[in-house]
Amino acid sequence: MLETRNLDKSFGAVHVTRGVSLRLERGERRVILGPNGAGKTTLFNLLVGELTPDSGSVHLAGENVTALPVARRARQGLSRSYQKNTLFDGLTVEENLGLAAAIHTGHATTLRRDSLARPEVREIVAEVANQVNLMPYLHARVSEVSYGVRRQLEVGVALATRPLVLLMDEPTSGVGPEMAKGFHDLLNNLPRDLTLLIIEHDMDLAFDVADTITVLNYGEVVFDGLPEAARGSTLLKEIYLGSWEDA
Amino acid sequence: MSLDLGFWTLQALNALQLSMLLFLLSIGLTVIFGLMHFVNLAHGALYALGAYFAASAAAVGGYWAGFFLAPVAVAGVGVLLYSGLIQRMRKSGPMAQVLVTFGLIFALLDITRIVWGDLALGLEVPDLLAGRVALLGVEYPAYRLFIIALGLAIFGALAFVLSRTQIGAMIRAGVDNDAMAACLGINVERLFFIVFCVGCALAGLAGAVAAPLLSVTPDMGLQILIPTLIVIVIGGLGSLKGAIAGSLIFGFVQTFGAVLAPQLASVLIYALLAAVLVIRPVGLFPAKG
Amino acid sequence: MFRHTPLRYGALVLLASAALFQAFTADYFGLDILTEIVILAMLVIALDMVAGFGGMVSLCHGALLGVGAYGYALLSTKVGLTPVAAMGGAVVITGAIAWVIGAICARSHGIYFIMATLAFGQMGYSYVFEAPLFGGDDGLGGIARLDLSLIGLDLNDGRSFALFSLGVLAAIYGVAVLILRSGLGRSLSGVRHNEQRMRALGLTVWRVKADVFGLSGLISGLAGVMAAQHVMFVSPGLLSWTVSGEALVVVILGGLGTLVGPLLGAAVFVLLKHEVGALTSYWHLVVGILLIAVVMSRANGIFGWIEARFGARIERRAADAVRDIDPREVKTDA
Repeated sequence: MLETRNLDKSFGAVHVTRGVSLRLERGERRVILGPNGAGKTTLFNLLVGELTPDSGSVHLAGENVTALPVARRARQGLSRSYQKNTLFDGLTVEENLGLAAAIHTGHATTLRRDSLARPEVREIVAEVANQVNLMPYLHARVSEVSYGVRRQLEVGVALATRPLVLLMDEPTSGVGPEMAKGFHDLLNNLPRDLTLLIIEHDMDLAFDVADTITVLNYGEVVFDGLPEAARGSTLLKEIYLGSWEDA
Repeated sequence: MSLDLGFWTLQALNALQLSMLLFLLSIGLTVIFGLMHFVNLAHGALYALGAYFAASAAAVGGYWAGFFLAPVAVAGVGVLLYSGLIQRMRKSGPMAQVLVTFGLIFALLDITRIVWGDLALGLEVPDLLAGRVALLGVEYPAYRLFIIALGLAIFGALAFVLSRTQIGAMIRAGVDNDAMAACLGINVERLFFIVFCVGCALAGLAGAVAAPLLSVTPDMGLQILIPTLIVIVIGGLGSLKGAIAGSLIFGFVQTFGAVLAPQLASVLIYALLAAVLVIRPVGLFPAKG
Repeated sequence: MFRHTPLRYGALVLLASAALFQAFTADYFGLDILTEIVILAMLVIALDMVAGFGGMVSLCHGALLGVGAYGYALLSTKVGLTPVAAMGGAVVITGAIAWVIGAICARSHGIYFIMATLAFGQMGYSYVFEAPLFGGDDGLGGIARLDLSLIGLDLNDGRSFALFSLGVLAAIYGVAVLILRSGLGRSLSGVRHNEQRMRALGLTVWRVKADVFGLSGLISGLAGVMAAQHVMFVSPGLLSWTVSGEALVVVILGGLGTLVGPLLGAAVFVLLKHEVGALTSYWHLVVGILLIAVVMSRANGIFGWIEARFGARIERRAADAVRDIDPREVKTDA
C-alpha cells in the first residue's frame, strides 16, 4: 500500500535520510522509533510531498507518486497528522472536521450550498467524531478545548478525508498518561483496513499498537521487524540510551 | 535599429544608471524588511522628500548643499517616524505596520504639497558634472556616470560593512534570527533604529540625486515606489545580493525593452514580475530561503 | 464563513432605511452623493471578500473598477454593443483579469501579495493612460446609461438611477453572502486560517484563491460599470492607486471581515470627503491620518469596534430567548 525505495535527502552537508526503503501492506500498523534527529519527521515530509527527495521514490497503492504535489497525493489517499497542532484555530471542532470532509466529498469548492450542510459531509463528520471521541465538543471552538482534545482533533481532521494511509506524527506528544491510554482505544476504533504509520516515543504504546516496528537512527533504517524482536534486542537500548563505550 | 557598438554602450550605461538609482532605494527598503519584517511603503515618499529638500537647499547653497543635506534631513524625518509611529506598531505585527506606512504615503503626499506647493520644482546638475565624458566610444553625460559611480561605491561600502564589520555581523545575525540575536546580547532595537535611519538617508540621497534628471513633483514618490517594489520582489527580500540583482534586472529589462520592443516595453517588466511570482515567489536571492 | 448576527441585521436595516430615505427626499446633489456611496460600497464588498475573508489584502481593486468602467465605455461606445451586452462583457472581462491576477499571486502572501497587486494595478493604470484606444488623459465620454424604459424607469433621472444602484448593491450583497456561505466560502476561510493544512488535505489552494479573486473581480467590474454610467465619463484616474488605496481604507475603517462594516465605512468616507473637500484640498492627508489612526487603535474599524463592544451582550440576549435547549444538542445552524 505504501512503499518507499531508497529514499535519500540531504540539506547541504547534513545527510538526513539515507537510503530508506519501507514497505507497508494494507491495514498494517507500523510504528517508527528513533531518537530525536533520526530523520523521522523528514521522512514524513518526503512521504507526503512537502519535501522532494534527492533520489529514491515513493509509491502509494502501487503508483509512483514521487513527482506529485502535496494536494494530489492527499487526494489519492495519503493523509497526515502533525506533531505540532495544525488546526483551524478560529473555527469550531465540527467546522474543522467539515473542511477536511468536504474536500474528500468534492464539496469544497461548490457555490450552491454550504458544504457543512451536505449530508455526505455531515456523515463523515459524525463518523470521525465518534472514532476520535469528539462528539461532546463539536460546537466548541478550538481555542476553547483542552490540548488533549486538540490532539484528538488533529488526528480527526486527517481522518476526515477517508484516507487509505494515515501518517501520524507523535500523536500523543504532550498529553498525559490517561490520554495516551485513550489513544490506544482510539486506534482500535479505526477501520481495520486503514494503513497506519506512526512516529512515537511512548514505548509502551508503540509495542502495544504496532504490527511491525521500524527503527531509524541517523537517517537510516537499523531495524525492521516484529515488536517482540525489537523488544528483546539491545539495539534499541543502545540507540536511545547509548552504550557504555560512549560514556 | 543600429548595430553600432556606441548605441549599445549608451543603452547599457543608461540601464546601469537606472539600476543604480533603484539600488539606492531598494537596498534601504530590503534591509529594513530583512531586519524588521515589514515593508515601509512610504519609502518612495521619503525619496520624494529627499528631492524636495535637495531642491530647496540647492536654491540657497547650490547642488552640493542639497546633495549633503537631503539624506540628513530625510534621516531626521525617519527618526520622527520611527519613534512616533513605527516603534509603537512593532508589537502589532507586520500587516499593521505596512498599513500605517501606506497611510503615510497619503499623508506625505499632501504634506509635500502643503510645504512646497503644487508646481514642479527643478534642480540643476552641478557645474562640475555638467559636461560629457568620452567613454567606451560614446560621449556620456558626466552626471549619469556620477550616479553609476555613486551606486557602485555605496554597494561596495555596504558589502564591506555587512561582511567585514562588527555591526555588519550584528545586522546579519538580526536578519537571520532577531530573537536569538537579542539573546546574544545584541541591542536589536537600537540596531533596527540605526538601520531604519540609514535606509531613510539612502532614500533621501536617491531623491537628491534623481532630482536633476526628473522633475520634482508630489507624485514622484509613487512613481518610483512601484519599480522599487518590483525590484525587491524579483531580487528577494532582505539581502544585498537580491537588491543589486533585482535592480540590474529591472534596469536592463526596462531600458533594452524600451529600445527593442517599444510596444511591449511597459508590459515586459510586469510579465517578468508575474513569472517570478509564479515560479519563485520568494524572489531570486531572499535572505531566508 | 459569514454569519448574520442580530447586530448585523440591525445595521443593515438602518443603512437601508437611511439610503431609501435619502433617495426619496434628497435633491440633485444629495442623490449624487448617495449614488457615489452606493457604488463605492459595491467595490468595498468585493474587496472585503478577498481581504477580510480570504486574507488577501489587495491594492488593485480600484484598477479592477477602472477596467469595468473602461470596458463598458469601450464596448458601448466604440464597439457599439447594447448597454446590457456591454455591461455583461465588461463584468466578464474584469472577472477574467481578476482571476488571472489571483492565480499569479496565489503563492504570495501578506506584504508580497500587497506589493504584487499594487504593481499590477499600476500596470493597468499606465496601460490605459498610454494607449490611444482609451483616449489617454482625456478619457472617454458619451457613455449611456442602461435603458429600463420597458419597466418604466428612466435611468437618466437622478433619483431612478440612485434607486437602481441601490438595487444592484442589494443584489451584490446577497451574492457575496451566498459565496461566503457556500462550500467555496468555507474553504476560503480554511485557507485563511491554515493554508498549509488545506493543501495537505487535498485542496488545490491556488485555484480557490483565483476563483474567489475572480468572483470579486466580477463584482468590482459591475461597480465599475455603474461608475461609468453614473458619471457618463471615464478617465485613467479611475485606475489610480489612490482609488485602490481609498477602497482599502474604507474597508479597514468600516471593519475588515464583517461585510456590513465596509458599507458603513463607505458612507462615512464619502460624506467626510465632501465635508473636508469643502474646506481644504488636502484630502489625502486626512485619508492618511484616518488610516493610521484606525490601524493604531487596534479596533477592527468602526463596526468591528461596535461588534466587540456590544456584540456579545446582544448575542447573549438572543441566546437567552432559546435558553432551554442544551447548546450541545442544537444542530448546527449551517
